[in-house]
Amino acid sequence: MFNKKFKLSSAKKQPAAEGEKSKENEEKTKSTISPLKSVFIKSVGNAVHNSSDLKVKSIHPNLTLIYIDNLVDGEVLKKHIIHDLLGNTSESPENVLSVLSIPNAKLSGEIDGAITGMMDGTVLIHVEGYSQIVLANIPTKESRALSTPENESQVIGSQVGFNESLTTNISLVRRYIKNPDLCNEEIKVGERSNTAVSMLYIKGIASEEMINMLRQRITDIKIDSLLDSSILEQLIDDNSLSIFPQMLLTERPDKLCSELLNGKLGVIVDGSTMAIVAPHSFLEFFQSQEDINLRWQIATFARLLRFSAVVLSIFLTPLYVAALTFHYEVIPQTLLVTLSESRSLVPFPPLFEALLLELIIELLREAGIRLPSKVGQTIGIVGGIVIGTAAVQAGITSNILIIIVALGALASFTTPSYMMGNVIRIIRFPLILLAGYWGFYGIMFGFCFIIIHLLRQTSLGSPYTAPFYPPRVKDWRDSIIRMPLPFTFKRPSNTRPEDEDKYEPGPVNPEKNEQKVE
Amino acid sequence: MKNSIQLSQKSTINAFLLFFIIHTAQIGVGIHGFQRIIYQDAKHDAWISVLLAGIATHIIAFIMIKTLEMYSSNDLYGIHQDVFGKWIGNFFNIIYILYCSAAFFSVLRNYIEVVQTWVFPNVNTWFLAATLLLIVMYTFTGGLRVIVGVSFFSLILSIWLLPMLVYPLKFMEPRSLLPILEADMSGILKGVQSMTFTIIGFEVLNVIYPFIKDKNNVRKYVHLGLLATTFIYVSVMLVSITYFSGDLLTKTIWATLSLFSIIKLPFVERFEYIAVCFWMLIILPNLCLYVWAAYRGTIRLVNVNATKFVWIFSLSIFIASLVVKNRTQINMVNNYFGQVAFYVIFVYPIFLYVVAVVKRKFKSHKEQIE
Repeated sequence: MFNKKFKLSSAKKQPAAEGEKSKENEEKTKSTISPLKSVFIKSVGNAVHNSSDLKVKSIHPNLTLIYIDNLVDGEVLKKHIIHDLLGNTSESPENVLSVLSIPNAKLSGEIDGAITGMMDGTVLIHVEGYSQIVLANIPTKESRALSTPENESQVIGSQVGFNESLTTNISLVRRYIKNPDLCNEEIKVGERSNTAVSMLYIKGIASEEMINMLRQRITDIKIDSLLDSSILEQLIDDNSLSIFPQMLLTERPDKLCSELLNGKLGVIVDGSTMAIVAPHSFLEFFQSQEDINLRWQIATFARLLRFSAVVLSIFLTPLYVAALTFHYEVIPQTLLVTLSESRSLVPFPPLFEALLLELIIELLREAGIRLPSKVGQTIGIVGGIVIGTAAVQAGITSNILIIIVALGALASFTTPSYMMGNVIRIIRFPLILLAGYWGFYGIMFGFCFIIIHLLRQTSLGSPYTAPFYPPRVKDWRDSIIRMPLPFTFKRPSNTRPEDEDKYEPGPVNPEKNEQKVE
Repeated sequence: MKNSIQLSQKSTINAFLLFFIIHTAQIGVGIHGFQRIIYQDAKHDAWISVLLAGIATHIIAFIMIKTLEMYSSNDLYGIHQDVFGKWIGNFFNIIYILYCSAAFFSVLRNYIEVVQTWVFPNVNTWFLAATLLLIVMYTFTGGLRVIVGVSFFSLILSIWLLPMLVYPLKFMEPRSLLPILEADMSGILKGVQSMTFTIIGFEVLNVIYPFIKDKNNVRKYVHLGLLATTFIYVSVMLVSITYFSGDLLTKTIWATLSLFSIIKLPFVERFEYIAVCFWMLIILPNLCLYVWAAYRGTIRLVNVNATKFVWIFSLSIFIASLVVKNRTQINMVNNYFGQVAFYVIFVYPIFLYVVAVVKRKFKSHKEQIE
């Protein structure tokens, strides 16, 4: 039996090896560049299926430019390349290269790379009789002007957001961190789309283990196209089945930079306005970049407000449903009178009433996103005032529930991360159902389930519930509260930074110390 | 030792988490109604019984750690096999696994009873058992890290219940504590024994010990955890004795919940509804740690993976919870279990320590001769 197996496997191997060999040969003939002009043009034409925007331009009889019309900068082509080459009479690729006043021009003897480059705005310059060509990269600089971040606006702090161009985005980051240790690793993702993905980190701060893990995850992706960083985030996070995002998507360069300086890793995808930040713990999703810009008392107040808003947003409606369906006794008598008065006309059980109203709010929100901004406001007013008032007058819902639902919706929008804000809103629905069927017991069941679920998650291998569990008391200084800057000089240990200290902790009150010296 | 447990750095936990583990493993359903049982034995000196029981846990924990330190990184199951040999050791292991399962069952069944009595009289036992087991299974399959995390959050998120004891203080009568030491010693000691069911849980240390990273800190945090538990039990007992009259206390099955029911906040009355439901988070570490302890023992006997084990375990507990139907049966289970637990937790560790020491002496003596 053993022999048989061996035979089978060896028999299988041989044709495969032959196939490989023939493939290699094919590749060799493919990848070399023909010194003949006509053959070269034909092979390039075949590679792009004679696309109509493929332009072939002869300057001299021996000198040919091939490029894709829509991808190269016409101005540069005319002013520099054609102008430079017109005066040139000597005919060798090296000479052409020396004449060109384009900074990123290079020699190449391989056609595959040249064609991939052509798709990125490279002009191929072929000289008759040579099997090497000159590549001059002059892509069009078609990108939106920098604008303020739409989804993560803040009062104090920089007002610039990422746009769709990878080079602009990286230059934005480099402008904040002028340090040679800021590493940029480019990885191509997507077999068909060939999207450039840049992995950013600061050598000497970011943990090597995490860098390797993230690089491995990105290179392991087998996908045919990658159009946005939010897709990449879902592909590389630790548990894509969970409702909670485990990596942050931000459109603020200052946020990305401050996280890079905390020892985290960033990923920017070409064509996407969002950068990925990892690892990111659950708590950090509720911290805004503005918290560092504001004075610590105000920032702490804002954070506490935000966290209580999240708790309120998740549990307020379920508590209402549970109390009114099962546990009347819990409500004090005076409050109970008001409640039952407002509910006296409502023909539905609290569960149905709450679900109806929550659904209306979600409808308004979804419609608000899809509608053009001019109509959006009107719909907001129509929805909020007309439907709200009419629903109460018609006796479909109670006044108090409208207040509760609106409060919950309002609170859910205080979360700085849009992705996490969505989760906070959606997570309410199963809890309302649990409350409607099993009262407080159901809510507690849901609550325990959420806590356990959060405990089970990791973000790039580090615990999602940090710094609370595992408890790292030093990191609590910058968690739900924000201590003054002289106390928060350590990087969060969740990122396992190679260098822990952000800065030397100076005296808390320098003026006082000086007086003492006198 | 040949059967000691070798762990990677990542699967170990910090010693100070033992504080949370020990504390949350102890506090569970017992605290709902331990006052009546102790009061029957020790009358208004019940708090002395509670205090003595607390001191007893310190002594036992001390001996447990002494035993565990003899075997640098091994749990009770491994020690059994080493001290008594394979067959007798495994017999003791089976008893310990059964003990853990019984503890799990009695916590679960008591909590279901409380929920049915106080909040949902009409909800079926099977439903409550199934939901609780579901949560336990979800935690258990996450591994030790998640189980310890649950005990951590359980303590942090329920710490606010303790200040609620201030409310009954308004109605207390400190004179009902006097005269101190009126009950005779036998009554007080009997009260200590009755405390067993409420105060056990710290024996999980026997199993979790090899998972601790810095073993030289174990002693400190275990005793701190026990101290916190003793403090809570004594204070609850003191409040109960001063708040209830003696007759009333002997008739109140869940005195702590009755204490909660007088709390009035501007927006909440009948606080015990919330407290009973919230208790799910407090018993969760109890359940998870016991099922985990049982699992650690089972894998020494048979080759079974965690998922398979937790399914079989949950299914058998589920069926058992349907068999025990009413209050009298539950009381019977509690009494029997309390008696067994007294010997397993308070007597057996001393015996084990003596045997282990003798065996070690004997062995080293033998080696010297050779």
